[in-house]
Amino acid sequence: MEETTTSVVDWSQIWIITGVGYTVVFLALLMLMLLFKSMPRVLNLGLSKKIREVREKAAARRNGDTKQEKYISGEVSAAIGLALTLYFKEQHDEESGIITIKRVARTYSPWSSKIYGVNNNPR
Amino acid sequence: MKKFLTVISILGVLYLIPLIFGGNLMAQTIMSELPEETGGLLEGLRHFWEYTGFSNVSFGNIIMIVVGLFFIFLAIRFHYEPLLLIPIGTGILLGNIPFPAGAGVGIYESGSVLNYLYFGVTQGIYPPLIFLGIGAMTDFSSLISNPRLMLLGAAAQIGVFGTFIGAVALGFEIHEAGAISIIGGADGPTAIFASAKLAPHLIGSIAIAAYSYMALVPVIQPPIMKLLITKKERLIRMKPPRAVSKTEKILFPIIGLLLTTFISPSAIPLLGMLFFGNILKESGVTDRLADTARTKMIDIVTILLGVTVGASTQASVFLTGSSIKIFALGAVSFIIATAGGLLFAKVMNLFLSKGNKINPLIGAAGVSAVPDSARVVQQEGIKSDPSNHLLMHAMAPNVSGVIGSAVAAGIMISFLM
Repeated sequence: MEETTTSVVDWSQIWIITGVGYTVVFLALLMLMLLFKSMPRVLNLGLSKKIREVREKAAARRNGDTKQEKYISGEVSAAIGLALTLYFKEQHDEESGIITIKRVARTYSPWSSKIYGVNNNPR
Repeated sequence: MKKFLTVISILGVLYLIPLIFGGNLMAQTIMSELPEETGGLLEGLRHFWEYTGFSNVSFGNIIMIVVGLFFIFLAIRFHYEPLLLIPIGTGILLGNIPFPAGAGVGIYESGSVLNYLYFGVTQGIYPPLIFLGIGAMTDFSSLISNPRLMLLGAAAQIGVFGTFIGAVALGFEIHEAGAISIIGGADGPTAIFASAKLAPHLIGSIAIAAYSYMALVPVIQPPIMKLLITKKERLIRMKPPRAVSKTEKILFPIIGLLLTTFISPSAIPLLGMLFFGNILKESGVTDRLADTARTKMIDIVTILLGVTVGASTQASVFLTGSSIKIFALGAVSFIIATAGGLLFAKVMNLFLSKGNKINPLIGAAGVSAVPDSARVVQQEGIKSDPSNHLLMHAMAPNVSGVIGSAVAAGIMISFLM
């Protein structure tokens, strides 16, 4: 490791690195700042367009020149409601509500047979 | 307690014997005084003794072991960055257990296990993985809701460039100065990454200095805050941050990634991983990946990084004049960075309307050191006004400090490589 440099330090280079480096760090974060300062406005552009449309419609309705809204009959509403209820109800498993002990039938195997156990030695 | 003291005393005596009599000489002196007929057994014992740490210990090893124990003590007793100081402290112990050269166990001996693990440090593999985890656990909401606080993170990078000038003035070669300067960013992984590229032989000293000062943030920063910020300024209440939409949270890492890496491509491994981790978190569709990155993965990498960085401080390599200078520069850089953030916050207040003023204390959080410096700001704020909570506000300059220090490291690398 060189503890002291034998060559003469080029201080102009050091100052350039320091000045440019610090400015670039500042600029990078400044650009990020400016972008995100304007971000809510950009994101709200679509929203404000929708709000404007709703307001225009409401104003038109107040003036009485609204287009006839589509009429939905009671039967159709009931059918939609039923469909939604059935759909959401099926999100959960339907359980029978009967609790029983399940019988398990195992096939016979001589490996588990008591007849052939090691304790059953013929005397 | 008596037993404990007895064991410690015996160990102390064993350590001191070779120090007093001068390493291997001790074994030879004892053995030569014994009759020759006891031959084979004693020869074996002599070989064994020469192989032990007690025979090979040097004064430097003892100093470093004490440093390691001090790190572990700081972590357990005062909770100073325990997740870092325990692995580093233990690593220092591991790295300073004396062994005969060529035993194939030291971190600098090729083929040893520690040497393989150290590869992740020397090649700059661990820092980007740590950044991935940091990205996956960081919530940038406070920064997005109040973007002007990003400038505080930029202002605190004066510590990096101030240290660069200081290191050159102290006689370090320009690449070494560039590596040392990143300590001023108060960001351990960034400092390791930069030194792996610019001055690999200084990694141990730089990493230990960076992590030590990061752990000592609660000690270093409060006096500077008291010195530079008036009582009246400390009482300033800031507006609560606005709610941030999901779209903004998703856009931030994408835009941040593109913008910062286009400006500083050398920092792609760090910034790329940081923002990638954040995309995993904010996208909402990769919870499993984000969860792994911010828990198991960052834990594994922290363990490996801490232990190997600690073990790299072998007394013979670490205890040099350069290390002392690096430590001194590290302390100064932390002070400059903290002061830079605080003063810039004061300057910003000159241009802000009355209702929008910021509490200048949060400028200190611009030094990175997530989340410790933000926590210090909160504690200092509460001391002046117990109902004035600054933590959320301080997190904004804190995370922008992480971005700023990575950009600074990238710029330094691109200038000097």
